Amino acid sequence: MTEILDLLKKDVIDNMIKSGKREDGRGLDEYRPITLLKGVLNAGPDGSAMARLGKTQVLASVKFTIGAPYPDRPKQGVFITSAEFLPVASPEFESGPPRENAIELARVVDKGIRASEIIDIDSFFVEEGKVLTMFLDIYVLDHDGNLIDAAALASMGAITDTRLPKIEDGEIVWGEYDKPLDYKDVVTTSTFSKVDGKILLDADKNEETDASARMTVSFVKGNICALQKGLEGSFRAEEIEYIINKALEKSKDLKSIVLKA
Amino acid sequence: MNDEIKLPGDVLYDKPVQMPYGYIENGKTYTTVLGIKRKRLIPLKGPYDPKPGDLIIGVVSDVRFSGYNIFVNMPYDVSISSRGIRFDLDYNDIITAKISHVDEVKNITIDDVRRLRKGIVIKVPPVKVPRILGRNNSMISLIKDKTGCDIVVGNNGLVWISFHGNVELAVESIGKVVKEAHIPGLTNRMEQYLNKKKVN
Amino acid sequence: MDYEGPLIKNGKRVDGRAFDDLRQISIKAHVINEADGSAYIKWGNNKILVGVYGPKECLPKHIADPHKAVVRARYNMAPFAGKEGHGRSGPSRRSIEISKVVSDTFQNVILAEQFPRTMIEIFIDVLQSDGGTRCAAVTAASVALADAGIPMKDMVSAVAGGIIEDTLVLDLNYIEDSQGNADLAMAFTHRNKDVLLLQMEGDLPIDKFKELLKMGMDSTEYLYKIQKEALEEGYKNKPTESVVLDL
Repeated sequence: MTEILDLLKKDVIDNMIKSGKREDGRGLDEYRPITLLKGVLNAGPDGSAMARLGKTQVLASVKFTIGAPYPDRPKQGVFITSAEFLPVASPEFESGPPRENAIELARVVDKGIRASEIIDIDSFFVEEGKVLTMFLDIYVLDHDGNLIDAAALASMGAITDTRLPKIEDGEIVWGEYDKPLDYKDVVTTSTFSKVDGKILLDADKNEETDASARMTVSFVKGNICALQKGLEGSFRAEEIEYIINKALEKSKDLKSIVLKA
Repeated sequence: MNDEIKLPGDVLYDKPVQMPYGYIENGKTYTTVLGIKRKRLIPLKGPYDPKPGDLIIGVVSDVRFSGYNIFVNMPYDVSISSRGIRFDLDYNDIITAKISHVDEVKNITIDDVRRLRKGIVIKVPPVKVPRILGRNNSMISLIKDKTGCDIVVGNNGLVWISFHGNVELAVESIGKVVKEAHIPGLTNRMEQYLNKKKVN
Repeated sequence: MDYEGPLIKNGKRVDGRAFDDLRQISIKAHVINEADGSAYIKWGNNKILVGVYGPKECLPKHIADPHKAVVRARYNMAPFAGKEGHGRSGPSRRSIEISKVVSDTFQNVILAEQFPRTMIEIFIDVLQSDGGTRCAAVTAASVALADAGIPMKDMVSAVAGGIIEDTLVLDLNYIEDSQGNADLAMAFTHRNKDVLLLQMEGDLPIDKFKELLKMGMDSTEYLYKIQKEALEEGYKNKPTESVVLDL
């Protein structure tokens, strides 16, 4: 209820980061408290989860429909990720079609999951001309920075919560399920921001207003499965190396959060 | 003390009483905002309602050829002419001013513009400003005294805190007043809190 | 999932409710940090988030009114909210219409003349739907507006009524809604029971309509109590902090 005015945040954050401190007292390589809750929407989606990173709250939903395959891949299912910044969540979000930031968010999460091949979309074949389409919807409910990691975590939460719908005569029987969705492993995603020459993990919104560059690293089975550099600033090779090592170090904790939730 | 929370539309008085946050209908007075009924209605939330004579804090949001736009925590920025002030302002400069006039569409005119030193400005709910100031400014004096910060509280819900002194403690203390303003015994609690923090 | 079988059996409805029973309802106020006011309502299987912003600069500028604040609601249904299928994102004609009637519901309850040239926005996001979302949304929006400290003449609540198998019932769930004969959405002010929203489709004799309106009106007290509890919970004798949003 008391917050620093946006216009003046930059000065204050600069001063703190210079002295190696963060507003909430955590280390530069530490996450805020993480919570992951699965099955939060029990009636609509086939799988759902809410992730919290400090005050950031992101909801993810997985839902299947029957659709047509892509013409060049007639036996393969379809996986579609979209993200929305709900205007309900922040005065900065406007209603209307997703803007650049929401699309980038969805794409970064999508790439990690798709490239890791943890979901076997070949198994989504139903019959000639019919495959399962898997919709992953990301809803940002409260924005206090680092939406990417929160969205990635919520998405993994939703995927590991998902049950495959029962199919009869080539149609989904709504409300009935066949078995849990098979996933091969857990993708973990960590995002780092460069603020005043220092690299920090899990920037909050105040810190993000002051960040010059951003780097997102996704891991599966100890290998990088997606990378995304963001914002106008640049990184040095040794900074990137540091970030990748840190992300690998964090992936163990993140994976166990997904599996234990 | 068992406080009674009033919702918009709840009866306050069985007679018509002209009062802020009141609405008169059929000879009775109803509250229009969420509040606590003590001797009068203390609103718990709400936007800033400007009045002539209010001291406000502003931040320069735009520098134009002939003047400035000032962010004042209201739906619209205030424009001032550079002729009215004897110094130049820059983006993000922090000022205090007095409201001299509020017209029928809530446009405000300000005068007595002064520039404040570098510092931070925090947003607080405008309805909590009287509690942050305290009776005869007792609360804000206490916080200034214990933190060593210069602090100016604007009626518009912006609070300026100087960079010298324990800024973090000042921000925390004001936050605590905001969160606990409606709980009885605030002054004693704040004194204990600040004394304890100061020892640490 | 087509439901087959009687909608009323031994005087009870499909989910065991009596004719004038509402579903389980809970509201939490103050759940979004960034909003000026907010509320989250669980009404049966409906789950709806409401955030209020303003009074703020009126955009687009041409809709500004020199005499009062413009109240704008935006109702949005999440693509995954329904029991069946996956909707498209973006506003449908249905959600645009609901946005309009909700805006109109609150425009005159809010003391809008206190904030000329500004805009008050009410964002409604349906995360899970099970019939009666607009009524649940109006009931929650009233809490969110009060939480924002927006001056209002009164609290507003809403409920739907209908006829199933010749019986008048309140608060139709999805199954009843899709198979019933009539669906009447109604919103009332708490104190004066003024009707602020009224929409009906179906087949409804005049005397049944009157009776149904009375039933809806009678539920106002019950809904008001839930609204009051939600607002008290956030403030009574304890520090005001944002409540964690538990879906």
